[in-house]
Amino acid sequence: MFIEYTWLVPLLPMLCFIIIGFLGRKTPEKGGYIAIAGAAGSFLMAVLISYEYLTGDAYPDPVSSSIQWFIIPGNEDYVLNLGYYVDGLTCVMMLFSSAISTLIFIYSIGYMGDQGPRKTRYYAEVSLFLTGMLGLIVSSNFLEMFIFWEVMGLCSYLLIGFWSFRHPEGDDASVNAASAAKKAFLVTRMGDVCLMAGLFILLGEFHSLDYTTLFDPDNIAAVNSDNLTLAMLLVFGGVIGKSAQFPLHDWLPDAMAGPTTVSSLIHAATMVKAGVYLVARGWPLFIQNPDVMLFVGIIGGITAFLAATMALNNMNIKKVLAYSTISQLGYMILGLGAGGYLVALGIQMGGEEGAVLMAAGTAGFFAGCFHMVNHAFFKALLFMCSGSVIHACHTEDMRLMGGLHKHMKITSTAMLLGSLSIAGFPLFSGFWSKDLVLEIAMDAGNDGTVWFTVLWVLAVVTAFMTAFYMFRMWFMTFMGSEGHNAQHCHGESPKSMTVPLMILAVFAVGSGFLALFGLDGILSFDPITYLVGGGHTEGFEYFSELFTNPYTWLTIVLALGGIGIAYVMYGKKSEDVESKTFALAGKFNKNGNAWLYKALTKRWWFPDLYNQISWKLGYGVAKGVNYVDRQVIDGTVNALSSSVVGGGDVLSKVQTGHVQSYSSVVLLGISVLSVLLLIIAMVMGGI
Amino acid sequence: MIPIEFFLLLGGILFIIGAYGALTKSNAILVLMCIELMLNAANINFVAFGAFNGDVMGQAFVVMTISVAAAEVAVGIAILLNAYKVRKTTELDDKQLQTMRW
Repeated sequence: MFIEYTWLVPLLPMLCFIIIGFLGRKTPEKGGYIAIAGAAGSFLMAVLISYEYLTGDAYPDPVSSSIQWFIIPGNEDYVLNLGYYVDGLTCVMMLFSSAISTLIFIYSIGYMGDQGPRKTRYYAEVSLFLTGMLGLIVSSNFLEMFIFWEVMGLCSYLLIGFWSFRHPEGDDASVNAASAAKKAFLVTRMGDVCLMAGLFILLGEFHSLDYTTLFDPDNIAAVNSDNLTLAMLLVFGGVIGKSAQFPLHDWLPDAMAGPTTVSSLIHAATMVKAGVYLVARGWPLFIQNPDVMLFVGIIGGITAFLAATMALNNMNIKKVLAYSTISQLGYMILGLGAGGYLVALGIQMGGEEGAVLMAAGTAGFFAGCFHMVNHAFFKALLFMCSGSVIHACHTEDMRLMGGLHKHMKITSTAMLLGSLSIAGFPLFSGFWSKDLVLEIAMDAGNDGTVWFTVLWVLAVVTAFMTAFYMFRMWFMTFMGSEGHNAQHCHGESPKSMTVPLMILAVFAVGSGFLALFGLDGILSFDPITYLVGGGHTEGFEYFSELFTNPYTWLTIVLALGGIGIAYVMYGKKSEDVESKTFALAGKFNKNGNAWLYKALTKRWWFPDLYNQISWKLGYGVAKGVNYVDRQVIDGTVNALSSSVVGGGDVLSKVQTGHVQSYSSVVLLGISVLSVLLLIIAMVMGGI
Repeated sequence: MIPIEFFLLLGGILFIIGAYGALTKSNAILVLMCIELMLNAANINFVAFGAFNGDVMGQAFVVMTISVAAAEVAVGIAILLNAYKVRKTTELDDKQLQTMRW
């Protein structure tokens, strides 16, 4: 009944985008309420569709419907369609994306309230952003998905650069916003090119990009496995760009130049989730080769670790959160990679043993997706809390904050809950999914290759670092002595900002328990039929397994240790209020002179590396192209034209206007002709 | 009897002299005279061939040519006289005459 109208889910925000774009200026809040209505409408549709699908007869078979869009001329069997595709993954993604976006839009009414007429642009663009994400989720084929993928790329560019014209903090900040937007656009573009190449290979192999065709086990068995491996590696290149994985992770911290609500939208509900979604969506194709999955897992593990190290000493409240996002995305990719590796091994092995591996591996699919859902809730919460703090203090530097707890009790409590969740404090949502990911990585290490054991160690260290930096952030912001800006703080933010915080805090604490109520069945993966959903509910087993696993207790102890160290270093009130040096931390990093501290501040020199590569390579290529253009191409044209002009000049000398010289030429011509005629006659023997 | 080659040689020499003069001289009267030379070189050839072939057509043509040449010279001299009246020169390279070209 509702499922036939799945296309309405992305269309509602699209309509809002158009309405706000044309008429938003005249409406109250400059289109803000229209954007909220659109997002809420999408959420309502998503709820209805999900309810109908999950209780319907078709479940767990996907419901898909397409209309033909075009046929590639000359190859009549390459048909490209437009349509929707609903299965368990689609439902879950639709629900949390639209729900969190609705809350973020409501929050924006308060946060962006002072932006004046530019709010129209803001609300139009976030609506389009939501269109991109929801369209990507309900797409029925890779081409449609790619289009919405690019729509999101465009919107992220526009929104990160929202303050590039006039930044509240001055011109430097607006220049910074402009360059951050460019960086985000260009870096993700590198991944997109890979993704597009991968899709071309897939189209060539399958003669279609429809999910129903691509995820059919018979079709997959029929294609060339080498080409499939190459295609999936290229597709994963797109994921690396979009989900900010190593080595293309560096755009995400810079993207903090945008408004905090945009960061929240990018990190929690849209954009970076698209990459993880693509891996989960393409799982049937990814699991055909264990090496691809090993690569995916390695990228995820390295990203999780590297990003966490960079968050350790950052002083910007939003950048700490940005690094934590990259790190958590690494967890998701690691979970999907490790699980996929086991499934791929199981498929290769076959038989009884293979079935065991496959069963263990499918838990990785759930772990990755589950972490994505939980992360969406607590990261949206954390970003909106940081936005509330920034709104009150007018700074993003944590050294100027401190002691804010007594001014902003709601924000402080909400952020504490979010931090506990991301740090993996037992029973909070982040704890369940993260430890599930760790357990999968451990399994993949035991049953597969030692690589995953190494990645497990990295991930456990990351868990410790996560707890440390999140609480370092919380203590620096809300505890200790008051910094300069904290003394002039406005107090708690308006209701439109705190209410979404409270709602999200409930989810950040409790979304982990959704697994007990069937979420794991909806997000299960069947390694035989390649369908998502329909698995038997074993959430309770997952949870009891976690608590009987000694390694889980190890991570719990490490997380608690991280929180404790953060308290010792940053939680106490320091005597010297003005300079606000954290005595113990200062001793630890030699007042910022330690080699490691500098390396972390410089983000492991990744921005420098990017600059060097783009400068040396890009400028070199540009110089070469410039040379070819100016010298070879322009040169050819210039030489041609000047030879014509010069030749004309020379030949025009012939036109003297002298009858005598003309007649000389005529005479000469006649003489030559006669002589020729004579010679010809002699040769032909006429004479 | 004088061999025909002598006539043809005389005609050729006359034609070359005429052509040389017509192409190189800058005085318009000299050019006109040289053109007459070239015409008469052709006339000699006509007469010579006509005599040798016993054909009267050659002489008839020559009479025709002479009359046409007379008319041509009359027109040419008349133009030159008028040009001289206006420009005070008959030199072909002279600026005064060159301005009449277009």
